[in-house]
Amino acid sequence: MSVLDQLNGTGIYLICGGIVLFIAAVCVVFMVRAWKAGKALGMDPVRMKRAIASSATFSVLPSVGILLGVLALSGSLGIPWPWLRLSVIGALHYETQVADAAAEQLGIRLGMDPMTTQAFSTIALLMSVCIMWGMVLATLFNRKYLNRLQGKDPAAKKSGGFGDFAMVAMFIGMVSAYLGSYLGGFVSGKGRFTFAGSWTPLLVAAVAALAMAGFTWLAEKKHWDWLDNFSIAGSMLLGMLAAVLAGQ
Amino acid sequence: MDKQQAYNTYMKNTHRLGRAVSLLTLAMLLGAPFLIGSLLGTMPDLAAAARGFLSVGLVWTVSSVVEYLVYTPMLGAGGSYLAFITGNLINMKIPCAMNARELVDAKTGTAENEVISTLSIATSSLVTIVVLAAGVALMIPLRPVLESPVLAPAFANVVPALFGAMAYKYYRKDVRLALVPLCCMSLLFMLVPSLTSSTSFMIIPSGALAIGLSWLKYRKGAKQA
Repeated sequence: MSVLDQLNGTGIYLICGGIVLFIAAVCVVFMVRAWKAGKALGMDPVRMKRAIASSATFSVLPSVGILLGVLALSGSLGIPWPWLRLSVIGALHYETQVADAAAEQLGIRLGMDPMTTQAFSTIALLMSVCIMWGMVLATLFNRKYLNRLQGKDPAAKKSGGFGDFAMVAMFIGMVSAYLGSYLGGFVSGKGRFTFAGSWTPLLVAAVAALAMAGFTWLAEKKHWDWLDNFSIAGSMLLGMLAAVLAGQ
Repeated sequence: MDKQQAYNTYMKNTHRLGRAVSLLTLAMLLGAPFLIGSLLGTMPDLAAAARGFLSVGLVWTVSSVVEYLVYTPMLGAGGSYLAFITGNLINMKIPCAMNARELVDAKTGTAENEVISTLSIATSSLVTIVVLAAGVALMIPLRPVLESPVLAPAFANVVPALFGAMAYKYYRKDVRLALVPLCCMSLLFMLVPSLTSSTSFMIIPSGALAIGLSWLKYRKGAKQA
């Protein structure tokens, strides 16, 4: 039996599947509690349903992208472990980098040299250790940190004050960093100011933004409110379609 | 019991539950490599893992601290416990929660925001779990579709598509504010192209710049009012 066959064995599926199932149950518990708390606070169930529906449609396409990460890693780490890592705590850009670094310390090149069972368990351990800090910090400090930020009476609070502006600004900053990197990649990606880098991410972002403008216009001017739930997913789909048509 | 009391009890229990499930998840994630190692008959090489941690882990540790400080206020208590357990923050959970709270007009730091953010992150995590589980179950028939060269550019550009759509949504709120970080970041990435591999770290200066400008504008507005 090859190492890859062992990594795809029933025992490993059961371990990884058990943890994924536990996390799914945790999500359901948090969701039910939040729903009940919302009702107790007098929130309109229609608004809560809207938040759920939009989050579900929003998450489908990125999840398919994450599935590709499972596929990419399955050639060297088997299917169950990447499945667990990307369902729980992991991030697509993180997993490959850490798996590569761990493999390098063991003297193997991920995806090129044959995997050994010890290399696998070491890589798996390092992947878990390196990204656990968010959870550790949340466990230790969440209560104090949030209490300090939110003050004593959030149930009576109706306006976010500067907090709302700060969140929008933070998001504008985040989006700008990504768009700037696409523009920088095109202009200087293959040598400073050569304009020879890939323009596909720019095209995709532009098409998605235009599509979003179209959806927003329909929702606001034609009062197609239901479209709001699907506008991000629809815009992403059109952006990705542009990449297929551009063929890059 | 009035609303304030009910909310306080909810929050207290959310922290208790969040801490407990975070600790349990940590124990399972750290225990799994050893459990799998015992199934395979070889334990992890701890010295190699320590060397690997020194080479990449420290960077990710710093990144995790910054992510925690920046994203926790956006997500609230329930949302942040869930998001740090389920991961994929920048490319999914944060935009997803922001989009949901935008749709229902929930304000930062309010009880409504706490509820909406938790509902959003839980839903998003469940969708990912279901898509991945279905994908793994159907891996053999799906592989040719997912690996198709025709569709490859689409899947390689999920993140630009996401941020393109989000850009329209947020830039229109304050175009003048958006222009400054966009121009600064574009220029920076053009002058130092190697930074494109560290885009997730560049969110911090870009976000700080946008928040700083927003604060100046907010103060100016408050003085005029």
